[in-house]
Amino acid sequence: MASSIKFDQITKRYRIGQWLPSLREALNSGNGQTGDSFHTAVDNVSFALEPGEALGVIGPNGAGKTTILKLLAGVTHPTDGTIAINGRFSALIELGAGFHPDLTGRENIFLNGTILGLQRSEIQQRYDQIVDFAGISAFLDTPVKRYSSGMYARLGFSIAAHVDPDVLLVDEVLAVGDYAFQQKCYAHMDMLRRQHGTSLIFVSHNMEAVRRVCDRGLVMYRGKNIFQGRAGEAVIAYSDAVRQAARVTQMEVPKEGGMAERVMTFDAEIGQVALHNQAGDPITVVQSGERVRVAVDICFHKDVQQPIFSFTIRTIDGRIIYDTTTRWRQLETPNFRAGEKCRIDYDLDLPLLEGEFELGVDVIATDFSHYYDRLERAMSFWVQGGNGAQGLVDLRVAIAIQKVAR
Amino acid sequence: MTSQATFLSYRPLLYAWIMRTIRARYKQSLLGGLWAIVQPAVATLIFSLVFTYFVPIDTDGIPYIVFSYAAMAPWTFFTTALTDMVESLVINMNLVSKIYFPREILPIAALLARSLDFGIASLLLLMLMIYFGVQVELSALLFLPAVIAIQLALALGLGFIGAALNVFYRDVKHIIALVIQVWLYATPIIYPASAVPSWLRPYYYLNPMTGIIESYRDILLRQQGPGPYLLVSLVSASAFLVIGYWFFKRVEFQFADVV
Repeated sequence: MASSIKFDQITKRYRIGQWLPSLREALNSGNGQTGDSFHTAVDNVSFALEPGEALGVIGPNGAGKTTILKLLAGVTHPTDGTIAINGRFSALIELGAGFHPDLTGRENIFLNGTILGLQRSEIQQRYDQIVDFAGISAFLDTPVKRYSSGMYARLGFSIAAHVDPDVLLVDEVLAVGDYAFQQKCYAHMDMLRRQHGTSLIFVSHNMEAVRRVCDRGLVMYRGKNIFQGRAGEAVIAYSDAVRQAARVTQMEVPKEGGMAERVMTFDAEIGQVALHNQAGDPITVVQSGERVRVAVDICFHKDVQQPIFSFTIRTIDGRIIYDTTTRWRQLETPNFRAGEKCRIDYDLDLPLLEGEFELGVDVIATDFSHYYDRLERAMSFWVQGGNGAQGLVDLRVAIAIQKVAR
Repeated sequence: MTSQATFLSYRPLLYAWIMRTIRARYKQSLLGGLWAIVQPAVATLIFSLVFTYFVPIDTDGIPYIVFSYAAMAPWTFFTTALTDMVESLVINMNLVSKIYFPREILPIAALLARSLDFGIASLLLLMLMIYFGVQVELSALLFLPAVIAIQLALALGLGFIGAALNVFYRDVKHIIALVIQVWLYATPIIYPASAVPSWLRPYYYLNPMTGIIESYRDILLRQQGPGPYLLVSLVSASAFLVIGYWFFKRVEFQFADVV
């Protein structure tokens, strides 16, 4: 089967700063732009998507994620490379981008539907579904300027999702909806993929959402594709990249549109993270149910008041199995002075079933405002045994079978 | 998919966008569509006052008010449409930078949305003609669609160029406003073409709007078919349309990046 999207060695450069083209430049076909006054938003990125596949695109602001969507949507054109899309696509780069504030919900459904390429009769057919999905039936004759931002977003998503696209492009747009609506959207996207074979490209800052929706992930960093693979691994690659960048530049990681600021200041730094068995030997393979100790070394570069230490175990596709912090446990932590070191021991049972797991540790400011350091993938370990059960956790099920006399 | 097939498949959007533009223009407005009459009517009244009482002008026996309104209605259509078209891309930059659709839809819709205004304004013209007992020659009336088509083609061609250039240089919007102001006096709208000195006339008729406006008067007020000047308008309008569309498509791909 032909790929539904082929994004082949795409480069997109933008001109920087105030620029008035000469008429000759405006008429020029615009290829071969080089030199200092250009910013490379997307640098030689390639990927292909089969029908029904979902690709999550993650990366900090300014990494080129939205540019990729705009290139796919045909809004902007690549400086270099070729893009092929098979079938009808629908793009949600901004929800309700075509809405007119003075027109009613009903009028905007028809307007927006035609912008997305539907015929009037097709909109008519889907009208009830769209209204129903958005949950705005009481406000159809109200101008959308009186809608709440949540209603606006719900209607926008609802229209775009009912185009029955072969390719659906979704930018960071669901952040405005409430939790229940987000879940509904994810379920709808799953349904489109399964029933209609829709390929999905999903841009988000919400890592859980990417894991939830996508099977593959593509990590963008400063225009470059630094990782491509399974979604869970991509999420970890992203956090590593952010950490590396923070370490190298000692600069703030770009704020992610209103979401928690993920800044690592390195006032405290995580050193060695090790897993020990009861005998005190370092191990990477654990017997199911074994009691182990995770030892974390931390050194402080600045004075730090009552930091919060956190500890997480994940599956390799990123699902959290266990997550705790000293704060949640209401443990008092001491103040540390610059140059001091500390060791934290977590003693725990690992009643996990066979498989590979990852251990993450963070050091967080006392008011949760930022990270001093975080290692989402500090180390990985294997669990063996578990009496042949499948799943994640050994529930130590006792099985009793007895014949019952009739 | 060829570009033509794409454009055809977007016909519902063109229609929807025209309706949106019209609806939005008159929402929350008391007079609504009547505004389409007010603008040319007020201009006509002022000029009627000036050229009937202050500086009487010879309009070949046609009452000045009909004489000038017959030109003012299409002229207002032409200039308001041109202004709207020039700004159509920049005003909708939110859309242009986020969603793909054939960009020519925006200027075309801006033009066609103004044609409703022209229709409304024409009703007043019809009433004036009846009131002043203007006779109409039916065979001449057959030329009317051709004149309107030429005017649309001219507006479209200029609108394509203006809209595309305005994306790159916002000066265009101001230049157009200025050009329209000057153009009013370079076209026989408030005075008859016969008032132009004969040495200037060959150049005067090079203005494509001269032929169009004179043709409206020929057909509606003078009971005759349009003169040969309409051919000049036809040629230049066609040229503007072809060049304008070519230019528009040529620079279209940069709109989202520049806008």
